[in-house]
Amino acid sequence: MLEYQIFFDYAPMILLGFWLTLKIVVCAIALGIPLGLLLALGRRSNFIIISFLSTSFIEVFRNTPFIIQVFLFYYVLPFYGLRLPAEYVGTLALAAFGSAYFAEIIRAGIDAVPKGQLESARAIGMTDWQAMKNVILPQTLSIVIPPLTNQTLSLIKESAILSTITVHELTMTGLMVQGETFRPFEVFIMVALLYWALNETIATIMRKFEKNIKKSRDTGPKNNSSTALKHGENTR
Amino acid sequence: MKFDISYTFDAIPRLLEGAFITMQVAILGFTLSVILATTITIARTSLKSKIFNLILAFYISFIRGTPILVQIFLVYYVLPVFGLNLGPFTAGILAITLNSAAFVTEILRGGLASVPIGQFEAAKSLGISGFALWRKIILPQTFITSIPPLVNEFTMVLKATALLSLITVVELMRVSQQIYGANYHPVEVLSGTFVIYFLMCFVVSRSSVVLEKKFKVKRA
Repeated sequence: MLEYQIFFDYAPMILLGFWLTLKIVVCAIALGIPLGLLLALGRRSNFIIISFLSTSFIEVFRNTPFIIQVFLFYYVLPFYGLRLPAEYVGTLALAAFGSAYFAEIIRAGIDAVPKGQLESARAIGMTDWQAMKNVILPQTLSIVIPPLTNQTLSLIKESAILSTITVHELTMTGLMVQGETFRPFEVFIMVALLYWALNETIATIMRKFEKNIKKSRDTGPKNNSSTALKHGENTR
Repeated sequence: MKFDISYTFDAIPRLLEGAFITMQVAILGFTLSVILATTITIARTSLKSKIFNLILAFYISFIRGTPILVQIFLVYYVLPVFGLNLGPFTAGILAITLNSAAFVTEILRGGLASVPIGQFEAAKSLGISGFALWRKIILPQTFITSIPPLVNEFTMVLKATALLSLITVVELMRVSQQIYGANYHPVEVLSGTFVIYFLMCFVVSRSSVVLEKKFKVKRA
């Protein structure tokens, strides 16, 4: 009952869709992480307007379904005279959606660095920005990587929703092949397996990477500071 | 074109009806998934069978590794191939339940790990075992520690229901599509829908704090 022929006949088409999914996700992450960093810093800002705007951006994008954000981007941008191809709109929407989550992850990472670090950096004469760049952010890196990986995986999955605005990514291609062949089982299994393989690959690579970072932190001469950090956490 | 807010206001009564359906779908799907996940958790802990764990790991990995949209399509388009013809509503609920159950199982595993092993031992020494052990002692503690992630998962389910519009379930998203399909004012109508979704999810996610407080008192 399984028609293997479909796997071979439509593989090039499906893989083309897969390639577009990859490109969109990579662009969305490349746009989303810097924007997320800005939002995270904005949320901690002392200017009430900036922190209010960043907070509401984050909360609004985290508390609505991605599909309606996509539709709004798709209809609102032309409404104000900005006509873009669906791929670009989709990438922008995915970047905006992702940045709200990235911002919360980065904020949590910054909060996890002991307060004394910022205070001592300020005490030796660094400006706020220098302290952030040279002291705080490097320390958040190892805290932030596991949740960032999770969010990346979730962006790959959310990108399937872009099929609703006619972006020819993996899911859309699957739907088109299904329309031609009327074999939903073969097509959607193929699509699901591709997503699954991509996610598992990234998850495995990042797990290895995490281990390396942990190792380099543990074996370095900074053993004292890491025990100090643990102690600080206990007393708080 | 200008943003004409009267279209938003005109749409609101029907949008609220749609929101009501969305809420029903979300509550039904989430409840079923919690029941399923609880059963899985109990079975996993008491069976301790390698095959069961392997199948479970496979299931959870598949659900977490593929988009929920593809899972919805799989349930809706593929089950009829095997002679199981579900309506869009049932298929949607089934897809959401299967998806959410995987996440809830993971949450409950975390919650269960936080219950001290002494609780099992103490119950056993009092002669409590089987159903009573789970219902009276272990599950309440598991659920109370899992409140924040469970509430978070419920908002995830609430947001996922919007995808059911693609398999023609008439919930909030679908209703708004029907409205702007008729009056050609997508921006105004979708803005209204956007606000309604935001309010629903925001209220639910803030309720976590209230629930936590309520159950903390009970525990002490």
